[in-house]
Order: sequence, then structure tokens, then C-alpha cells
Amino acid sequence: MSTATATADAPTGPAFRRAGFGDVISSEWLKLRTVRSTFWTLITLFAGSAAVSLLICVAAADQYAKDRAAGNPDASPDIVLLGLAFVGQIAAYVLGVMTISTEYTTGAIRTSLTAMPRRVEILVAKAILLAVIVFVVGLATAFACFYLGNIPLRAKHVGVDLSDPGVLRGVFGSGLYLAGLAVFGLALGFLLRHTAGAITIGLALIFIIGGLVQLIPGSIGRWLYKVMPGNAGGQITQFGERNHNADKNFAPWTGFTVFILEVLVLLIIGAILFERRDA
Amino acid sequence: MIRAVGLTKRYGDRLAVDHADFTVEPGTVTGFLGPNGAGKSTTMRMILGLDHPTAGSVTVDGRPYRQLPAPLREVGALLDAKAVHGGRSAHHHLACLAKSNGIPLKRVDEVISLVGLDQVAKKRSKNFSLGMGQRLGIAGALLGDPGTLLFDEPVNGLDPEGILWVRNLMKSLAAQGRTVFVSSHLMSEMALTADRVIVIGRGQIKADTTMREFIAQNATTHVRVRSPHIGKLHELMTGNGWQVEAAPDEDGALRVHNVTSDAVGELAGQNGLWLHELAVVQPSLEEAFMSMTADSVEYHAGLNGLDPGSTGGVPGSGVPGTPGTPGAAGAAGTPGAPGAAASDQPNGGAR
Repeated sequence: MSTATATADAPTGPAFRRAGFGDVISSEWLKLRTVRSTFWTLITLFAGSAAVSLLICVAAADQYAKDRAAGNPDASPDIVLLGLAFVGQIAAYVLGVMTISTEYTTGAIRTSLTAMPRRVEILVAKAILLAVIVFVVGLATAFACFYLGNIPLRAKHVGVDLSDPGVLRGVFGSGLYLAGLAVFGLALGFLLRHTAGAITIGLALIFIIGGLVQLIPGSIGRWLYKVMPGNAGGQITQFGERNHNADKNFAPWTGFTVFILEVLVLLIIGAILFERRDA
Repeated sequence: MIRAVGLTKRYGDRLAVDHADFTVEPGTVTGFLGPNGAGKSTTMRMILGLDHPTAGSVTVDGRPYRQLPAPLREVGALLDAKAVHGGRSAHHHLACLAKSNGIPLKRVDEVISLVGLDQVAKKRSKNFSLGMGQRLGIAGALLGDPGTLLFDEPVNGLDPEGILWVRNLMKSLAAQGRTVFVSSHLMSEMALTADRVIVIGRGQIKADTTMREFIAQNATTHVRVRSPHIGKLHELMTGNGWQVEAAPDEDGALRVHNVTSDAVGELAGQNGLWLHELAVVQPSLEEAFMSMTADSVEYHAGLNGLDPGSTGGVPGSGVPGTPGTPGAAGAAGTPGAPGAAASDQPNGGAR
């Protein structure tokens, strides 16, 4: 009886449930799927990287075979993944930036935040989805690069095998590194809220400043070179003798861990600013 | 119900919203009026949790917006038609919103039909006209069937049919017991739609009253009369103790206050006087609104020269209707000019 009374007296709560993180995930997943730029960037990542890997190996197979025969350590078998270093890195990073920056440039962010004012949930959902999608596509791309790049190398009898030391780690690591780069782009997109600005700064960090800091003399320059995001994170994608310069670079997993920490720090700063700033 | 208490927003040294206190009640359409840059959009963005107040607070049904468990189910908002990703179709845009609040996707098709976008639902919204964009925004606002609705300048870009549709929509939403808060810089539009009106000028609440009361206080009617025997008529009317003054347009017409046109016509007829014109004139509400917020428009580009009434009428007569003194000619002329002046100012606070 008391139960019945309690039920009758209970305030009639709203006829809807609280919007949870699962709802945010499914909304953000639909957002990613329903803009063309996502498809184009991922197609570019896959096809562009694979094609460039193949072209580089076709062009370099002869010299590579000679260098291998001569024992030149610069002839590193991770040449098969070079397409990822050129096209894949850019595509993954750009996708990460655009996932948030287009919401700012179109003004759609105001609609998004009106629908879901718990902003950190939006940021976390975007980061998770990006990491998963880019890891899957990046891994597939790394395998495609590996097999395509191997065709001209095998023809010269200098093919790379998945069971060679570090190769499987490098292929998997490429998926991980690209996923990290996408989230790195997302974090900078949240910080700068501007597509062109975030793309310019990120690509400059990875491709230009990452190399330039070597010019700073002494241990500071060496340390800076090691920790630059592209240098630290990229170690996990590399295999072969060239990578054995432990003085210059982190070991693969150490470098990747440093890179992920850098990404997380940027993402947390991005989350704090996202939460505090007016939309 | 929306309640703002001491709501304040400061951008640098500029107060966009200055200690605003107001309550928006359910069951009525409440107009939010102010010149461009007066703080309307900033206020609305603070209600929606997009901008953080510098001081004070604003709640929807007793809770700050960011604490609402499923915001779209409780508050629907049309902020501006461009707040969508143009690369996404109307249907997908609404589906993304629906999913974020766990709203069933069949509701998306319902609201698309409701706003009449069925034909273009699968098309990318970047090619939408401003009017279609407004309809898409309204569809998003209605998605969660919320009890509170905010519309920021909803009739912008709509054709006359669309304007009528929005007016009726807002009235019917209020009639269903919902809280409807709609901003506009057009007094005339609000007079047709809103039951209550909150006037904001330079971030400060200038009036918070019913539309009927606002009209009664700010726009009293007078009778305009023109006659070939105007001298005689003037004499008779002042003899009756009526308040008579010359109309400012100098065609010999008189304005008579606090009497009906019937009384003026009968007086003329009894005395065999011809009338060439006898009309009840309701000064434009635009005029009342302008004079209320005139000191809060940031840049008075040419406003003084175009507004003869506000200086001429007020001090001497003591008639409550004086904000309307420029009469028909003045009222027709002025709304355009100050409107243009107001829209010239930088919109920094409202973006």
C-alpha cells in the first residue's frame, strides 16, 4: 500500500531521459559521416599514401637494392611506408583540425552547444571517434603501403617481410601514430578555432620546425628535436637500421608515449578553453 | 519560464548587458525589443549557456541552461539561420541534433514537414535561401517539443507568407502554454505578435510590460481634422475645452487630443462646417520605441535632424501621447532613417 502511495505522490518527472554520453557519441558519429570532407580526407589518406609509397619504391628500387648490397644503413626497409609520412600525416592531421574548426567557421558550433551544453563530452566524443576511425583507416593504409611498396622491391629481391624485426610494429604503429596526429589536429582546432591557422601551425610544427630545431646548438637542440611531436611520435612507424640512432631519437614506444602525452596536454588545454570561452 | 537576475555581460570596457532583471512567463509571446547592438543576442546567448555572464545569472525553469539534462527537450532556440554546417543536408543536420538528445529520428521528418522543407530535406543547406535557413532553424527549435522557445529575429529574410506563418506559429506555441521569447528590432512586428514586451537599450532593460500597456502609455491616438473653416472649428473645439494643436505638417490640419472623431464630426455638423479630412491617427509604435531607446543607440547618425517631434512636443503640452507628435508624415519618414543609423554601428557585442 505504501508503495502505491509513494508512486502516486512521486513528482511526475519529465517524460524524457537525460541525454548521455552515448547520445553525444552517436550524434558526433553522424556528424562525421554526413560531411563530404571526412570521406575525401580519408580517401586521400588511403589512396594518396599507397600511391606515393608505390611510386617511391618503384623509383628507388634500383638504388635501394645496391645500397642494401653495400650494407648502407641509410637504405632502410621502412621506405615502403614513406607514402604515409608524406600524404598520410597531412590527411590525418587535417581531418582532425576540420572536425572542430568547420563547426566554428560555419557557426554550427552554436547549434551544437545549444543541443549539448556539456562541452567536454563533445570534445571527448570527437577525440574518441577520430582516434578509432583514423586508426582503422591508417592501419589499412599502412598494410596497403607495405604490400604495394614491396612489389618493386621484391622484383629486385630486396623485399621486406612482416616477420622482419620491427616491421609489424611499424605497420601497426603507423595506424596508432596517424590516430594520434588526428587528435593532435583536433586539439589545435579547439585551441585556434580556425581551419587555416590550425593546419598551418600543425604542419609547420611537424614538417619544418621539427627539423629546424636541430640547428639549435648543444643539448637543448638535441632534446627539442627528440620531443617535437612529429619526431617523437613518428619513431613508432620506423624500422630498420636507420632508426638505431638512439642518441638522436627516442626508442619507438618511448617516442610514441611522449607524443601521446603531448597530444593529451594540448587536448586538456583545449578542453579547458572550450569550457570557458564564449561560443 | 526564463528568469534573469542582475544579468551582466562585459566585453572589455563595454557593457553589452547591464544588470538585466526580467522574467519571461509561459503562455505568452514575450517580445524582446531593442536596436541592433542593444544586447538582445548577447542576452539570448547567455540564456542558452553559450556566453558566460560576467555577473548575475539566468535560468530556464529554475536551472542554468548547462544543467538541463536534455536541453532540446526543454528549450528550442533559433539563433541565426547560418549556424549550420552548409555541407550537411537539412535532414542530417536535424538528425545530428536529435541524436545528441536521444530524440527519435521520426521526429526529424515531423518537424521537416511542419516547417515545409520536405522538398529540400535531402539537399545540402549551403544552397538554402535565407528564408529556408530560418525554417530549418525553426525546425531545429521545435525538434524536442520544448516548453520554452527562443527566437532571435525569426522573420529576417522571410517572405510575407513566411512572416505570417512565423507569427501564427509563435502565437499557437504560446497558446499551448509554452514560454515564447522572441527578439526583434522592429516594433511594428512585435506589436502584431507579442503579448508582453521587454525593451532593451544599451544593455539596460527600459521597459517590461504588456504590449497593451506599452501601447497605451506610449502611443495615444489623436484626431486629425482638416476643414476650409478651420479657424471657426478651432474656436469651437477650444471652447469645448478640448486640447487642440496645429499639426506639424503645415497644411492647416489640427490635432485634437482625448476626444473621439465622432465628437469632432458632430461638432462640425451641428455648426454647418465642412470637413475635408477627419481621421483617427495612431502614432507608430516604432516612434515610441525609438524615443525610449534613442539615448541608447550608440551612434546617432542624422537622427536629430529627422526627428522633429521629439523636441517640439514633449515639454509644453504635457500630453501623454507626445512621443507620437510627428504625426503621420513624421512617422512615415522616421522609422527608416533611425533604423539605418542603428544598423550602421559595429555589432561587436552581439557576435
